[in-house]
Amino acid sequence: MQTKARKFFATALASLYGLCFAPLAQAYAFNELIPDVRQPASVSGGSACPVKAHRLTAAGSITERWSTALGTAPVTIITLDQTPTGRLNEIEQVITTALGVWTGVSGTTLLPASLAPLTRVAAATSCGSDGVNSICFDQSDSAFTPGVLAFTRVITADKIGTQLGSGPAATQFGQILDADVYFNPSDSQVTFATPTALPANQKAYDLESILTHELGHSFGFSHSAVWNAMMYPFAPAPGTITGTRPSIQQPDAPLGDDDRTGLRVLYPDPADTVHTGSIAGRIVPANPLSLPGAPPGVTGIFGSHVVAVDSTSGAVIGATIGGWSCAAPGPAQFDGSYKIDRLPVGHSYTIYAESLNGVVDPSQVSDATATLCRNSTTDPGWPPLQGCVVPAVNASFTTRTRPGP
Amino acid sequence: MSYRQRRRFFWIMFLGGLAVVALAAALSATTLSKLRFAELAQKSTAVARLRCLSAVSRWENGEIWTETRFEVLETEKGLLPGLVSVRMLGGHVEGLHSRVEGVPVFRPGEEVYLFLWGRAGEPFSVLGWSQGTFRIAQNPETGAETVTQDSAAMPVFDPQKQHFRRDGIRNWPVVLFQEKLRGALMQRRW
Repeated sequence: MQTKARKFFATALASLYGLCFAPLAQAYAFNELIPDVRQPASVSGGSACPVKAHRLTAAGSITERWSTALGTAPVTIITLDQTPTGRLNEIEQVITTALGVWTGVSGTTLLPASLAPLTRVAAATSCGSDGVNSICFDQSDSAFTPGVLAFTRVITADKIGTQLGSGPAATQFGQILDADVYFNPSDSQVTFATPTALPANQKAYDLESILTHELGHSFGFSHSAVWNAMMYPFAPAPGTITGTRPSIQQPDAPLGDDDRTGLRVLYPDPADTVHTGSIAGRIVPANPLSLPGAPPGVTGIFGSHVVAVDSTSGAVIGATIGGWSCAAPGPAQFDGSYKIDRLPVGHSYTIYAESLNGVVDPSQVSDATATLCRNSTTDPGWPPLQGCVVPAVNASFTTRTRPGP
Repeated sequence: MSYRQRRRFFWIMFLGGLAVVALAAALSATTLSKLRFAELAQKSTAVARLRCLSAVSRWENGEIWTETRFEVLETEKGLLPGLVSVRMLGGHVEGLHSRVEGVPVFRPGEEVYLFLWGRAGEPFSVLGWSQGTFRIAQNPETGAETVTQDSAAMPVFDPQKQHFRRDGIRNWPVVLFQEKLRGALMQRRW
């Protein structure tokens, strides 16, 4: 493997008129949570290290149903076929294709066979915390405000045995128990068009792009700040699409490399021999005295984005939010560590490390950084030795590199 | 990385930073559609500077919701009592974590400007979620306050151009933000 791992060191950054110009990028990120170690180790695992929310991927284990109730006042879903049956078939094709985008990524255990047959349900209000994954196009929800097109609500278990509604009990930490996709049904200014209907409805959002993004959340993704990533939080403008349309030859065509790497990290295939590279290191300040005094134990820069760019293609292959590490039984240690996994071997990479901004609360940037710690304040009765406090993001640095050994 | 590459990299960073000031791009969002600042001001029920007091998650109508209580410090639009509650989807209850990307989460003690939105008979929500959330930070040394919009917190890496760009309001001195806000509320074009 010709991958060059490079060490980064931080130096103080002079801000200009109070504006920090240090750029940063957040690539793929995950919905993570910390198991409830107040529970016996048999159900909590005993470790306070964050785990990634995920679905089980055994054959037929991923169920999805969709509500065939479609809004009429206003009409928000636009199809080319206007017959009742044709409309439903066209929408169902979009759902099937969007699921196929994610199961079409090589090197993961999320396979087409992981999906149970897609089912239909007539009720408009089929979405809810019932343990059944649903997609709803005409379910009003008071969470919607102007400007909200669609969202995915993901419910995850932090201990084994947790059950939700009629769904199966969790058998793994971080198992997603219910992920429902809601499309805004009541904003007359917002419409979604199927791929065949989009060319004639340029003011509509591409249903396939938005649904593919939302399904990414349902598989455990948070948002990405890579421009061409599917998990980039902003949708393509009305009348346009994200990436390119999927095809039989390349079902994952709409995804960016960043999305693919993220999926491989979430659902790694042990048999994958291509995406086995990793780059790891620490980001530490040139002057250790610049580290925050509180909370105690911070030994490296926290809150940095580390991005791996393929030196040849320029594509963002993967990235992470660096600054911490964790080994069982936890808690997280804020030592400046980063690690980018599941990189294709045989490539050279350039690594960018950038600071977050000082005023940025970790929760703004990624839930991943906001959920690294639980303690007796957040959770009464939390074991002190497994508790921690997330430090403030260290923004006052720029990076310089020196060649690796 | 050679000296030349390093120099190029820092130039990219610097220019990317300048682009922050220059760009106010119009984007639309996947869970969110882009709301311009003037739209936020126009469509909001109320706008206020608030201090978070507490947040409680609970089951309600089959979903986990988080209700956050705020002390009203300064009202810019609408009529608000001294305390307001904001209810947003998601939270943590009894071993279950409910999460919706883009929904702002608040911590006791932090101060924010929120563009509130509410239907009659329902608790307030935050208009446009992360777009209607503007967090206030205070420089511990100088005391100077700055404002950053949640949706602007993630500068974007453009793989094709190999540089970063940012949109929205980020690190604005609070005085500038107030000026922009009051201008928008007066329906002046910014």
